[in-house]
Amino acid sequence: MSDKPSLPQIDAEKELIRHIETLLADPAHEGNPLREPLARLLEQNAGQRQRLERLVRISDGYHLLSRANSETLSQQYDRQLRRVEKLMRISDRYQQSLREISEALREASLHDPLTSLGNRRFLMERLGEETGRAVRNSTPYSLGIIDIDFFKSINDRYGHDAGDKALCEVSCAIRDSLREYDICGRWGGEEFLFILPETPLDLAVQVAERVRLGIENIRHDHIDYRITACIGVTLYRYGEHYSDTIKRADEALRHAKEAGRNRVESRL
Amino acid sequence: MEGDSYPENSFEFFGPVIDWVERFLKDSSMPLKLELKLVYMNTSSVKAMMDIFDLLEDAYTQGRQVSVNWFYDPRNERVLDLADEFREDCSFPFEIAADVR
Repeated sequence: MSDKPSLPQIDAEKELIRHIETLLADPAHEGNPLREPLARLLEQNAGQRQRLERLVRISDGYHLLSRANSETLSQQYDRQLRRVEKLMRISDRYQQSLREISEALREASLHDPLTSLGNRRFLMERLGEETGRAVRNSTPYSLGIIDIDFFKSINDRYGHDAGDKALCEVSCAIRDSLREYDICGRWGGEEFLFILPETPLDLAVQVAERVRLGIENIRHDHIDYRITACIGVTLYRYGEHYSDTIKRADEALRHAKEAGRNRVESRL
Repeated sequence: MEGDSYPENSFEFFGPVIDWVERFLKDSSMPLKLELKLVYMNTSSVKAMMDIFDLLEDAYTQGRQVSVNWFYDPRNERVLDLADEFREDCSFPFEIAADVR
């Protein structure tokens, strides 16, 4: 492409041309009949060589051009590829943070910020699931509602901070008294609800009794009397909506309140 | 520019913005400084921002004075990382700072 290679063939050709030129220039061969056609042949050869060289130059030029072109194309391709990768990377990160936000929102929407127990929405979701499972497996769950006794007077006498603190302590006591697979949450105000999957009523009463004792035995450093609670317990009946189960547990709870507080009452 | 960006048709939305940047860089010789407080962007908005930064980069390599200040809410450090990703291929001044206001 740049300097023409010095091949032995080309050297021989040059040598031959030089030899012919010397012969043609020699006056001794002036009258030779071969001299004139030989001179024409030499001239033609020179013309051919020029054309060939031009052809090679042009074709080399095209070759260089197309090579340059394909380099730009591959550079452009690489650049676009990098851009797309960057776009995906950034976009994936945005998506990831959205996912985390929605996860956090879901968590927040299902939990009570004060006690960090599940909230009413959480309990209703779980009640729906547990009811479905109870019907499918013919293993009813028991349900209990806990209500702190005289809660209003804690707020009135010690202030709302003390009331909040008491709610947290009661939450801990409930959680600690239940088994690992039991479900509990804050139903609202000073009311809590627990679901005991695959648990007959007599066993549920025992668990509820443990919860009642757990609450009674809390040592409060900001309230100078014992906090107690009433618990109403019942068993899920096949075919009913869980709101009926809750209603029955509520009746048992009211009964416990009427019977003098700090008690567990059950309804089949 | 500030806020979340998830337009339904981002070409329609960002087209005029990109046109403006292009025209400004072409028709004037004044410095261009972008102040951004972007939080969420969908994929096509990310693409549009990359296009804008490319325009700035081209102008910068031709000697034009351009810069970007990207402010983020210190409570949302993720935006810092994302802005950093955007900055990766930019050689012009690109500041990422916590918005303390």
